[in-house]
Amino acid sequence: MGFGIWILFNKMADFDTIIYEKQDGVGYITLNRPQALNAYNIRMRDELWQILSAIKEDDDVRVVILKGSGEKAFCAGADLTEFLTAPSPIVARQVRWERDVWGLWLGIDKPFIVALHGYVLGDGVEMSLCCDIRVASEDAQFGTPEMGLGIITAAGGSQTLPRVVGQAHALDMLLTGRWIKAEEARRIKLVNRVVTRKDLLPTVQRLADKIKAYDPRAVSYAKQAVTRGLDLSLERGLELEARLGYMVSSAKL
Amino acid sequence: MPANSVLYAKKGHVAYVTLNRPRVKNSIDQQLAQEMEEVCAHINHQDDDVYVVVITGAGDKAFCAGSDTPKSNVAAAVAGIDKPVIAAINGEALGEGLELALACDIRLASDRARFGLPQLTSGLIPVNGGTQWLPRLVGKGKALELILTGEIIDAEEAFKIGLVSKVVPHEKLAAEANALAEKMAAQAPISLRFVKEAVNKGLDMTLEQGLRLEGDLYFLLHTTADRTEGIKAFLGKRKPEFKGK
Repeated sequence: MGFGIWILFNKMADFDTIIYEKQDGVGYITLNRPQALNAYNIRMRDELWQILSAIKEDDDVRVVILKGSGEKAFCAGADLTEFLTAPSPIVARQVRWERDVWGLWLGIDKPFIVALHGYVLGDGVEMSLCCDIRVASEDAQFGTPEMGLGIITAAGGSQTLPRVVGQAHALDMLLTGRWIKAEEARRIKLVNRVVTRKDLLPTVQRLADKIKAYDPRAVSYAKQAVTRGLDLSLERGLELEARLGYMVSSAKL
Repeated sequence: MPANSVLYAKKGHVAYVTLNRPRVKNSIDQQLAQEMEEVCAHINHQDDDVYVVVITGAGDKAFCAGSDTPKSNVAAAVAGIDKPVIAAINGEALGEGLELALACDIRLASDRARFGLPQLTSGLIPVNGGTQWLPRLVGKGKALELILTGEIIDAEEAFKIGLVSKVVPHEKLAAEANALAEKMAAQAPISLRFVKEAVNKGLDMTLEQGLRLEGDLYFLLHTTADRTEGIKAFLGKRKPEFKGK
């Protein structure tokens, strides 16, 4: 796979909506459109697709940290200026599934930790839900404004949000479009913990360092057992856990 | 609609459904069950102007204290409403009354509300969704504790375990439910229905299937005038005027 990866890394220098870096087993994805509050656009989708494809195959990356650049926002949603030029629903749907960023992301069996600050809206919430551990700074605000725009979530939010916070809290956020603050986000388990802005990046780094010190295969299997198990009957989930557990322990013999 | 066990009123785009047998704590009898089914069908099929539904109980004591009739399934009728439904729980929500509240999308409670599934104390079990909805909402441990003991809990406890989203002072419940409903009704009505469907149906699917459902509903919305209006309004920094089309 060396050649393919080399090409991808070469290309990474050209990214203009995202910064991707790698250091000591950790991949760092930084949404980098601070002038637009890191709004998600088509370019970002394509760049995210390339980066996630590379991370999936890159054994040097054991843990991924996602964050947003600038002071004001992790990501304030989708860039709506692109919306009215969208192709027909038929073509748009075809493109969506040909380049299924969210399916790719949710299928990567490496842990993703996300640092959330400022505005976390729409696609911002949904991107954070593609991650496994969410840490927010006290100033973070969350909301899903899609229903007030005549659309619905399209980055998996209607599926990932209820799986994280439960049906009632998910519907409360989605149906009202109301914004919630970091403390409420913690109460409903949308984020795992809330820290000061100063402590945000050090906290996610500590979590990443802790996880990367473990056997990467065990880490990946633990994530698989939980995330895939949630899609299975209890009986099948227990079988999956036992099989993965056996594979980890027999590899150590 | 000849409704007297169930009152139906509309204000703007919000429908208010009130269980109206206050002398018997709004418990469900055959008449009430039949009227509820008619009201739910009306909301689903005959009134496009209704975007959001609020269900509450008449009087000061009870939301709905259970059922007199073994054959009713008011909860199923309410669960079949494709628009967002808020339960404004103004007092006791027991047995099928709690199951009815569980069939709603969001539960607000008065600080006087009380909750329980006491069917076991009469040698019965919950049969209107309680054994399925409750564990999905509060987790298996708490659900089994409530069902197996038949214990009645207060609003504070209900909030703590996630059975209700919010507890408000009794006299503020109606205003609070109204404000929540209005907030929802300001969104695009088809988006409300579709996102409710995506969440509720999606939870019964694998994640992959759920993502497909969300995607298909999303692209279906590309064909609506409300989508164009919503985006233009946002870009023009004005309030959108949705028409449900």
